[in-house]
Amino acid sequence: MSRITIPIGPQHPALKEPLSFLLTVEGERIVESALRIGYVHRGLERLFQDRSYVQNVHIAERVCGICSHIHTTAYCQGVEALLGLEVPRRALYVRTLLCELERIHSHLLWLGVLAEHIGFTTVFMYAWRDREIVLDIMEDLSGGRVAHAVNAIGGVRIDIENDHIPAIHARLDELERQMEMFLGVIQHERTFQARTRGVGCLTQEQVQRYCVVGPVARASGVAMDIRRDQPYAVYDELSFRVITADEGDVWARTMVRALEIVESMGMCRQLLDKLPEGPLASRAPRRVPAGLVISRCEAPRGELLYVIRSDGSDRPARVKIRTPTLPTLATLKDQLRGVHTADVPTILAGVDLCIACADR
Amino acid sequence: MRDVASAVLTILVFPGFGFLFVCALAFHWIDRRVTARFQGRVGPPWFQPFADFVKLLAKEDVLPVGAHERACALLPMVSLAAVLTAALHIPVGGYVVTSFEGDLIVVLFLLSLPALAYFLAGWLSASVFSVVGGSRALLQYFAYEVPFLMALAGPAILVGSWSVSRISGAQSGGLWTLLVQPIGFVLAFIGLIGKLKRSPFDIPKAKSEIGAGPLTEFSGRKLALWHLSLQVKTVVGIFLLVDVFLGGSGGGISLSGVTLFGVKCLLVLLALSVTGVLYARLRIDQLATMGWRVLAPLALVQLLVVVLVGG
Amino acid sequence: MNVELLLQALREVLSAPSLDAEYLPIDETCIAVPAECLRRAVDVLVGRFRVTHLSTITAEDTGLEIVLLYHFWDRRGLTLRTSLPRDGPHIASLARIIPGAIFYEQEVAEMLGVVFDGHPVAASLLLPDDWEGPPPLRRPTGDDV
Repeated sequence: MSRITIPIGPQHPALKEPLSFLLTVEGERIVESALRIGYVHRGLERLFQDRSYVQNVHIAERVCGICSHIHTTAYCQGVEALLGLEVPRRALYVRTLLCELERIHSHLLWLGVLAEHIGFTTVFMYAWRDREIVLDIMEDLSGGRVAHAVNAIGGVRIDIENDHIPAIHARLDELERQMEMFLGVIQHERTFQARTRGVGCLTQEQVQRYCVVGPVARASGVAMDIRRDQPYAVYDELSFRVITADEGDVWARTMVRALEIVESMGMCRQLLDKLPEGPLASRAPRRVPAGLVISRCEAPRGELLYVIRSDGSDRPARVKIRTPTLPTLATLKDQLRGVHTADVPTILAGVDLCIACADR
Repeated sequence: MRDVASAVLTILVFPGFGFLFVCALAFHWIDRRVTARFQGRVGPPWFQPFADFVKLLAKEDVLPVGAHERACALLPMVSLAAVLTAALHIPVGGYVVTSFEGDLIVVLFLLSLPALAYFLAGWLSASVFSVVGGSRALLQYFAYEVPFLMALAGPAILVGSWSVSRISGAQSGGLWTLLVQPIGFVLAFIGLIGKLKRSPFDIPKAKSEIGAGPLTEFSGRKLALWHLSLQVKTVVGIFLLVDVFLGGSGGGISLSGVTLFGVKCLLVLLALSVTGVLYARLRIDQLATMGWRVLAPLALVQLLVVVLVGG
Repeated sequence: MNVELLLQALREVLSAPSLDAEYLPIDETCIAVPAECLRRAVDVLVGRFRVTHLSTITAEDTGLEIVLLYHFWDRRGLTLRTSLPRDGPHIASLARIIPGAIFYEQEVAEMLGVVFDGHPVAASLLLPDDWEGPPPLRRPTGDDV
């Protein structure tokens, strides 16, 4: 049978962000795939070295357009550790609340993208409509829908007013009802299952070989979650389950993410109920003592790593960001081998790529 | 002279081309609007399909180097001409332009011509997406066409005539074919979704996979004609289903008959929209499996029942 | 992961009795390993201690040398630190032991010009194909300034 080469990207309807795949296809089967990233490489790591620690918070916020808050959380947490700064508990609560809201928003966005890619427009519309509930909460809290500018070194810049809390609870109630509907669709809709089950399988062993993180790893039975294993912020004061699945396919990833949304909503409620009184930030000096810190957070897509080395000045000597998408990208070659061309978008959506994050 | 004038009027205005054009745009609008309401959106204003059509007519018409210019210009016209001709034999609320014994077969043949044109368009327009889309369109054709044909053969055998008008008229006594051959109706309905390449069988033009499929490289007037031919095909398909399975206008020509026919058409359209909303797109191999393992045997069972019991 | 046991094992395998751990903030341990021993150290880590998760490789040009930090994770952080000369830096690739390292090494290679011996891919990861000039994260040397 004759082979043809289908280009997917750098611009393609199946991609939200630029990356390039060259798929060699025999009939409808993929024989080979070649991946190229770097189309949105902005040299941010270099930029970090030229800005002060305070200015860098804003750069960190702009590494990713979806999970902006977790980037500043990881960055601020690292700098605070270098400074030996005690962050007020109320600030940590607000920070964690935003992290979890962001996770819900990111997972719902992802659910919509997956649905769109398997031609399930209705779920796509519903998912993005209900994502607005979370975005509204975040907008009310911080003034921004996706870029919140909440974190600062030493604390947070926004407060949650007490009479605002019931309104957030009410919105979460609404989202909870919608999530029941989504879970019903994921578990029982037959065409949804036909398109996602057995697609893009990764075994536990593959996940470990490629150092994959986040929901993709958890859907293959690797129970790693920084929130539980190495708690940061106030995660050690919250009760939550780490969701895992054994199948390792796109369906399992969907299930893991959907259940994580439910868990996250529970965590948001706990955070709102336990919110302690107190100051919102402690004062941070401009200069940071020399040292090295490795700051890890659980971003919506998995382990996010900021390595910050300070040479004692007001600018970092080196900032290294490892976003969760990069290791996931390495698995795509394995996942795409021998699959049907129609499953390519499903697989690409299934791992939840964030190319701007990976390229930096 | 009067005969000629009235014949021209019948063909060009009602129930011919003019009427079909209006119906096509109206049905398309209703479909989009209903779908949008189900999905929590507002949907376009009523003139949107017409505006889109005019806009496309005015747009620049380009084809990539290597595409077969003449074939690409001809194929949308062939497609549109085939569905318009098919429409002439299908009664609309009792009115029919021309009818003869065996016109059902002509209609079915004419309705499958656009699928071939669609496949050729993909093959000849020099793009990998359209080639993949074209081959999918052909595979899909083989999956839905046989059950669709067999489902429509049932009523014809039952009535003992291969004329759409007669099959439609034979139900005026009371019993709709739907009640006698429910499996046949469901199969014809599923086949129609496949024919119209509507969700969940929009496999040849799955946009997240292969752009717009065979039509990826088309633009301007050619694309306008493609869209129009697909929209007219929707209307013709719905008319056909209503006539064959749902008792048409209930016999004779009357205002109530026309209204009844319209209502039935809208119900079928609604069913099409709802089906499109409810499911995820299948993969081509899943559709082929479904077509040959489920739909075709069911169609065979339905036919056997008709022959053994009804005949 | 028991840091004491790991240190003992590393001292034994690398026959470097002076090997010691440094403790960094946020529950992180850092062990300095000579560049030529890195691969054997990782072998011990992966083979004997089942620490398979390599978070990333950080590389930095300090102006005097190139520092490589291999960040492992097993419910807490473990960093192996090694340094290379600025002229013609090269080190054994980990791609065979940990396939996940391929992208990280590719990035270090193109950003700092470190050669990874035995690395399966030669292409650049983030930089454009027609990139010219020195590796972008290298500090300017005396002549360039």
